[in-house]
Amino acid sequence: MARSALSGAAIVGIGRTPFVRKSGRTTLGMASEAARDALRDAGLAPSDVDGFTCYSTGDSAGPMQVAHAIGVDDLGWSVGVSGGGNAVASVVAGAAAAVVTGQADVVIVYRVLGSGTRYGKAMDRVLAPGEGQFAAPHGYLVPPQWFAMWCRRHQHVYGSTSEDLGAIAVQQRAHAVNNPHAIARTPITIDDYLESRWINEPFRVFDCCYEVDGAVALVVTSAERAADLPNQPVYPLAVADANGQGGSVFEWDDMTSMYSREAAPRLWSRTGLGPADMDVALMYDCYTYTVMATLEDFGFCAKGEVGDFFRDGRATYGGDVVVNPHGGLLSEGYLHGLNHHYEAVLQLRGAAGDRQVPGAETALVTAGAGPFGGALVYATAPQ
Amino acid sequence: MTAAQYPPQPSPDFDTEGFWEATADGRLALCRCVECGLWLQPPLERCRRCAGLTAFEDVAGTGTIYSFIVQRQPSVVGYLDAIPYVVALVELDEQAGLRLPARIVGIEPERVTVGMRVVVDLVALPGGDYVVPVFQPA
Repeated sequence: MARSALSGAAIVGIGRTPFVRKSGRTTLGMASEAARDALRDAGLAPSDVDGFTCYSTGDSAGPMQVAHAIGVDDLGWSVGVSGGGNAVASVVAGAAAAVVTGQADVVIVYRVLGSGTRYGKAMDRVLAPGEGQFAAPHGYLVPPQWFAMWCRRHQHVYGSTSEDLGAIAVQQRAHAVNNPHAIARTPITIDDYLESRWINEPFRVFDCCYEVDGAVALVVTSAERAADLPNQPVYPLAVADANGQGGSVFEWDDMTSMYSREAAPRLWSRTGLGPADMDVALMYDCYTYTVMATLEDFGFCAKGEVGDFFRDGRATYGGDVVVNPHGGLLSEGYLHGLNHHYEAVLQLRGAAGDRQVPGAETALVTAGAGPFGGALVYATAPQ
Repeated sequence: MTAAQYPPQPSPDFDTEGFWEATADGRLALCRCVECGLWLQPPLERCRRCAGLTAFEDVAGTGTIYSFIVQRQPSVVGYLDAIPYVVALVELDEQAGLRLPARIVGIEPERVTVGMRVVVDLVALPGGDYVVPVFQPA
C-alpha cells in the first residue's frame, strides 16, 4: 500500500485572531497575532522559526514581513503562493515537505483576510483582462455567480433541490451554535433558508460563506521534534491536488463534479484509506454546493443523495462522519479554508470542547472548488 | 448610467483581440486551430493540441444553454437597472464543450431552462467601444 512521507512532519501549534466583519486592522497585524498565538500554543518561540509560508490573492502581508514583525530575523524558507482556497492543501503540504526534506525546522503557515478583500461583490471593477473579458462585461464576474452556475447543472442532471442545499446550510449552522469563535451562531430552519433572499438563483444568502476579517496560523515541525512539545501532534498522512482544464470555471467539462473527481481517488490511493475511515470531514464550503459536489466526489454518498445524507443525520454526531463541526466557512467564517485545518487539529487533539467528535482519530480536509483544489488527511498517528 | 456604473470593459490582448474585432464587425468568431481544426476558448496563440497556428473563424451563433443563473442582487457593476438578469453558459454547436458566458435576453427569467436552444445577437456594451454577444431563444 502506498505511503506518503508527509507524516514525518506534524502540526504542533494552531493560532488565530477573532473573526469579525470589519476589524479596521492591517493584514500584517492580524497575521502576526495569529502566528504568535500558534507559537505560544506550540510551546515555541519566534527564535525557533526558520520557515514561513502563506497563500493569497495579492491581498496580504507576505511571509517575510510577517516573520519580521514577530521578531524572526532570518528565514531559511519563505514561500508565498498565489492562490485562494484551492491552494490550501498544497501550501500546508509544502510546509510539511520542507520540514521532511530538511529545508526548514519550524514553519508557520498562515492566511489572513482584511476588509479590503471581499470576493462576493465587484461594484467598482472597470477592466476585465484574461478569460474574465468574456464574462465580466455580462455582469458575471464573482464566485457566487460561477458556482451557482455549476449548481444549476447539478440540479438539472441529478434533480438536486433548494431543500438539499438548505439541509447543508441548516446543519452547519446547528454545528456553529456550539462554536464560540463562529461569527454566525443563530440556528436556522429549512423554512428560514427557503425564505432567505436570493443572491443569484439558485443561490440564496445562506448558500454563501460569511466573509470576515481575521487570520489563522499553523506551526509545522518534524515528528521527531513534535514528541518533545506539549500538544498531541497531528500528522498529515497524504495530500492530493487536482488542477484541471486550465482552471476555467466556464469551460470545465462536467459541472456536476469538481476537482475532487480527480483528487479523491488520488488521496484515497495515497493513504490506503477511504471515506468510511474518516471521523471528521472539513469540507471546503465557500458555497453549500461545494459541499454537495465534493462529498459526492470523495465518495461519502452517491450523486444526488447529499440532501438525504444531511437530512438523515449522516453528516453530524452519531452519523457516518461529522461534516464541518465548527460551522465551516458558511457559519464560522470565511478564512479561506485554513480555519478548516485549525478545526481538524483541535478535533484530533480531543480539544474541541462542546463540539468534540468523540474519539476522532482521522480528518479529511478539503480545499478549493470548481476546477481546482486539493485535500489532506490528518491523523493522530503517523503512517 | 454614469461611467462608474458601466459594466466591466474587456481588456483585449494579442490572443483575444480578434474576438472583439469580429464583434465590432457584426460577427461572432472564435479562435480555431488552422491545422487540426480544434476550437479554443479562451483563445490561444497556438493550438493546445497540435501547437498549430490559430485564427478567428466565424461560428453559426447557435447553441444550447448548458446552465444559467438569475442575478437578483447587485453583485457586479453594470445592468443594475436590469435586475433580475440572466447569464448563461451557452454551448455552441461547433464543438462539444465549447462555451461562452453571455446574457440571455428576450425572455422572462422564469422561462429560461437548461437545454434551451438559443441564437446570438450582437449588442453595444454600455460605456465603451465594444460589442458583445448576447443570446435569445432560437
